[in-house]
Amino acid sequence: MTHKNHFDGSRYANDLTLAYSAPTGTDIDWLNEIRQKSMDAFVEVGLPGARVEEWKYTNLSSMNSKTYGVLEKAGELDAAIMAIIDDAYLDDIRGSKVVFIDGFYKAELSTIKGEDGLKLLSLNEYIKSQNGDAKTLLQSTHEVSSLANLNSALMTDGYVIQVKPNIKLSQPIQIIHVSGERSNLKALRNKNFIEVSENSSAQIIESFIGVDNVDNWKQDVTQIWVEKNAVLEIYQTQLQGNETIHMGETHIDVAEDADFKHYSLNIGAKNSRTEIKPTLNGLHGNVDLRGAFLGRGGNSHDVFTHMKHLVPECESDQIYRGVLDKGGKSAFQGKVYVAKDAQLTNAEQSNKNLLLDRDAEANSKPELLIYADDVKCAHGATVGELDAEALFYLKSRGLYLAAAKSLLVEAFIAEVYDDVAIPSVKEKYLGLARAWLD
Amino acid sequence: MLEIKNLHVEVAGQKILKGIDLTINAGEVHAIMGPNGSGKSTLSYAICGKDGYEVTEGSITYKGKNFLELEANERAAEGAFLGFQYPVEIPGVSNMNFLKTAVNSIRKYKGEDEMAPVEFLKLVRAKAAELEMDPEMLKRAVNVGFSGGEKKRNEMVQMAVLDPGFSVLDETDSGLDIDALRVVADGINRMRAPEKSILVITHYQRLLDYVVPDFVHVLADGKIVKSGDKSLAMELEKQGYGHLGIDENAA
Repeated sequence: MTHKNHFDGSRYANDLTLAYSAPTGTDIDWLNEIRQKSMDAFVEVGLPGARVEEWKYTNLSSMNSKTYGVLEKAGELDAAIMAIIDDAYLDDIRGSKVVFIDGFYKAELSTIKGEDGLKLLSLNEYIKSQNGDAKTLLQSTHEVSSLANLNSALMTDGYVIQVKPNIKLSQPIQIIHVSGERSNLKALRNKNFIEVSENSSAQIIESFIGVDNVDNWKQDVTQIWVEKNAVLEIYQTQLQGNETIHMGETHIDVAEDADFKHYSLNIGAKNSRTEIKPTLNGLHGNVDLRGAFLGRGGNSHDVFTHMKHLVPECESDQIYRGVLDKGGKSAFQGKVYVAKDAQLTNAEQSNKNLLLDRDAEANSKPELLIYADDVKCAHGATVGELDAEALFYLKSRGLYLAAAKSLLVEAFIAEVYDDVAIPSVKEKYLGLARAWLD
Repeated sequence: MLEIKNLHVEVAGQKILKGIDLTINAGEVHAIMGPNGSGKSTLSYAICGKDGYEVTEGSITYKGKNFLELEANERAAEGAFLGFQYPVEIPGVSNMNFLKTAVNSIRKYKGEDEMAPVEFLKLVRAKAAELEMDPEMLKRAVNVGFSGGEKKRNEMVQMAVLDPGFSVLDETDSGLDIDALRVVADGINRMRAPEKSILVITHYQRLLDYVVPDFVHVLADGKIVKSGDKSLAMELEKQGYGHLGIDENAA
């Protein structure tokens, strides 16, 4: 079965050559082989089209006529770029600051703080400094999607975070991805790896930001391992420019007694697509996914989750809220798979959407594939409008209509960020949501 | 203070109020009684500006301002307060945040600066204490999980904090036990002042034992059919609406 769409491989021949040497400065044979193999695998399938169920709400046809080539190096830093980095940076967080400009790690903007048991570096540095390990790591990814293959073929950088066993990182790591004007008509592809070893814990705050009126394609693929009894929390915000296509695909292996939490807020970009695919493969693993997406004026946000319960007695909980104003569109697709042996699974999923205007669209599609017979699986999906009675109640107390709406919308999404453990991150989420409403 | 003249109101194309004349002067407490479906709640919503309550004829003026030209929030900022029969639950919004936003919205309308947080906190705590509300309830989401009595007490706290010049209390007494009724009555009586006026809407005479009105009006089929002093309420209690030739089950 092929779903060839929009792209043929030959248009990428030149890009592949560029990708061979541009990021690391020199050709590396084993890496080139991985790139070539991945490209072949991508060309075999092509871009997913609307007939692929997982992509039915995402229209990639606007990408048809565009190449989105590989960018050889990051653009110059200007005042505008520096200002949005400052905006995104939380200065009360004392951990490392990692900045990517146009998909390339920028050492001069980053502050890597040495901490016992933490390895934190860019993918290119990792490839250059430890050839053998890097090869193993890059070959270890078990991507199946054609877009993940395209990413492996053409990625230009990324990050590697490894936390050794029995290490609790004292401060969260902040990662800021910025796309500037040089990335116009280019694709920015990063490949990232996070490994939190046995009995360790880490927090990562990741922001995706960009300037307006730049037609680019940001595509990140991240492979995560949360090992036995380890804890990983990720806090993402996406505020890309208004012409950006933003895609993030994250695969997470969750081991025995491990705990993975993923928070996200999607506000920017022309089209955003967030894919989160946790695999619970150890007893008593826990996954919490929390996210909100706010769209208007041609924004479209897609969230696709695929929760795989492969072993018994694991828990997963998903809470997603969408708010769509005039011209906004969203799709939430939440797949939960419970294998035959995964008895006593407890899997919950909730997606509620609020339409603030008649010209707004929210799609919600829970999909439960349950092959075990002794499980608790709950899901709920709603699409509604603001409660007129509540609005009048607030107005009757003196609140202006706009303030009343803001209060209700804020309350609607607040649940998503209730458990955020870092106060400044929680405040950032709510602040961004408030700013979107105003 | 509040002047209603020949008020006609339609809801979804249906004529509900059919010519109400009512003047409430400063310092006065008026009660409107009437059977279900007579238009009591419609009158309170029309005064406070709820969407969908269309005034087809007549006028509502408060302190010389034409209320019909004002949004619900502007009427509130001018000094009108509506105590709801069924206070709305608002998950995710704390009572405190709600009150703060309300107080500052009204100040904004009046061109005043926001109230200092410390001053606001003192005000709310004082009013909650006067009305014997557990301060913990101020942190909870507005009316969520509150009992009927707690919701009405919450209405009284809101009224006390906002300190309106004119309060309409729409069947605030319905469904309350005697203790809760006393709380509500106490809340209303605290608002009595020479410069303020109050309109109590009720089905039963019971509340009027505690909040003694200066005037009582009987509403039936969208019109005031009889007005009098507090003895009218007692007469209705003894003899029922039928005595006035009103079909109690008209709705």
